[in-house]
Amino acid sequence: MIEIKNLTKVYKLTKKQMAEQKTKRNIKKAADNISLSAKKGEIYGLLGPNGAGKTTVLRCVATLLNPTTGEITVCGCDTVKEPKKVRESISFLTNEIKLDPQFSPKYMFNFFGRLHGMDDKTIDERRELLFNYFGIQDFRDKKINELSTGMKQKASIAVSLVHDPEVVIFDEPTNGLDIVTARSVTDYLKLLKEEGKAVIVSTHIMSEAEKLCDRIGIIINGRKVMDGTLSEILKETGTEDLEDAFFELYKEYSKEEA
Amino acid sequence: MNGAKQIIKKELTRVFTDKKLVISLFILPAVLIIGIYYFMGQMQTAMVNEIEKHVSTIDIQNVPEDFKETLASLKFDAHIQYLEPDEDLTAVKKDILNGTTDLLVVFEEDFLNKVSTYETGGVIPEVKTYYNNSEDYSNAARNNFVDTVLSAYQQKLLKERFEDIDQLTVFRVDVDPESSVIVDDKKAKGKIFGILLPYLITLMLFQGAMSLGIDAITGEKERGTMASMLLTPLNRREIVVGKLISVSILAGLSAAVYAVSMVFAMPVMVSGFGSDSLEGLSLKFSAVQVAELLVILAVMVYLYVAIVALASVLAKTVKEASAFVSPILIIVLVAGMATMFSGNEEKSLGMFAIPVYGNAISIQNILTGELTPVQFTATVGGTLLLAVILTVLITKAFNSEKVMFNA
Repeated sequence: MIEIKNLTKVYKLTKKQMAEQKTKRNIKKAADNISLSAKKGEIYGLLGPNGAGKTTVLRCVATLLNPTTGEITVCGCDTVKEPKKVRESISFLTNEIKLDPQFSPKYMFNFFGRLHGMDDKTIDERRELLFNYFGIQDFRDKKINELSTGMKQKASIAVSLVHDPEVVIFDEPTNGLDIVTARSVTDYLKLLKEEGKAVIVSTHIMSEAEKLCDRIGIIINGRKVMDGTLSEILKETGTEDLEDAFFELYKEYSKEEA
Repeated sequence: MNGAKQIIKKELTRVFTDKKLVISLFILPAVLIIGIYYFMGQMQTAMVNEIEKHVSTIDIQNVPEDFKETLASLKFDAHIQYLEPDEDLTAVKKDILNGTTDLLVVFEEDFLNKVSTYETGGVIPEVKTYYNNSEDYSNAARNNFVDTVLSAYQQKLLKERFEDIDQLTVFRVDVDPESSVIVDDKKAKGKIFGILLPYLITLMLFQGAMSLGIDAITGEKERGTMASMLLTPLNRREIVVGKLISVSILAGLSAAVYAVSMVFAMPVMVSGFGSDSLEGLSLKFSAVQVAELLVILAVMVYLYVAIVALASVLAKTVKEASAFVSPILIIVLVAGMATMFSGNEEKSLGMFAIPVYGNAISIQNILTGELTPVQFTATVGGTLLLAVILTVLITKAFNSEKVMFNA
């Protein structure tokens, strides 16, 4: 479903950014030759520290960024050549992308449904389903800027799934949520997996990755240093749990960079 | 173009369901304009009345014997104090500076004798006035005194010298001045409007486009709501078109509110100056003129919105966008203002095709009924061309990840 081949993404830095990041090079490799694939009915987890390049990879998949080199296909469509088709089949959630605070969850849901070319009846059906699941009905007519963080996140998730996409890409979906809300989100991701969707999530929470993901790719400094099932990773690194495995790899690869 | 339609609907809903926005965009400007004009009119009337009511304090030195008669016959209302011939004037001049005395009039010594013994080639006696031209009261007292009292006194002395003063008038110019003026009434009225209107229209349209456009584009970028739209299967061009049309509608509406409230406020302000001053301000248009005006206004709104939108999409923050747009506002205003000072010379067709400037001179010509169809086409074409070029650039910017995601 999602096929990333040798993805490299290079950002050009301005002088100001160079000073901020204390580097003398005017380019930054946010993603360095990354290849991975996520299949139908599978949750793939991208695990890495802040700034490792997880969001860059996901943004490339979501057609918001174009790869510098390499290629990405989603449901057989190239993200650069057929971005429109790709966008039809994906849901992309990240905390920098927000819903218009002036509107209610219901208005936003209907608005994005129509932008996806759905008819009103289908939109109503999807809305009932998703709003009931996430418990949005109680605050569906309130303005989004009056909602709590958890409510906002639930609304964002529901809206991002309005068109029942085949591929779901969630960037740190449980960030800032209490455990009850976080649990309902991860449970829904499992449900999506059972429905046969391909799901990619990024996270820096080890326990979440352990419990949720069928396969995990570990990204450090823009490079995918290992991927596989949890047991494969533990076996390879000779560790007991994911956190230890991650630190083994982190010690090894962040040294290389320095 | 269903996507563009949905975006327009959403943008309009956003503004019209937000009470604060509706008030600040549509209600406050109207109230403010009418209020300011009313206030200005009241102040001006009050000021004029007050000066008229004020009784001047006037000091006169070396007053001729028969001058008091003239004063009495004119019923000139003032506190007049007569000074001794040898009195020192420094104190009086100081009073004029302080505003306690309005006017000092000094007749030459032995004034009447000098007048009556005048012979051809001799020295003409002088009446000297001292006043403070930065003080309204002093200025008014001086003008009043010279125009009514001194001129009457001069007529009286002339009569004594010549008996028949009509002999002094060899011929008259324009006994009936009104019948001398040959003018196209419509054109003259249009000229009064034409000086100010293009400038005001430019200012109002650009203001509206500025506040709305920056929020609709940079604001959405900053709030992170733009990206959610970029994730839909919509063509980027459709998003741009939707944004431009909705901001144009709102900016046009906001300008219309300004224009209507100005039309209502104008009589309120002018009422202070008597009723004739209003006559020059009423205009009648033919249907074609109205249509031409509307088309020009529409392309102008489109152009201004496109200018603001391009600056907004390139800016990272709302603050930066305002910084980008402000200098453009000044350029646009200067171009709009150029019509105020340009002379009467024929403008070449190319001038009409220059965006902003061409629009301003076209509006001016519509008001005076002089715009030709070719000029109209040139101005609409020129403006539209630039606006379309800008739209293409905006779409390019929307497609750029560097611009949209700072990547």
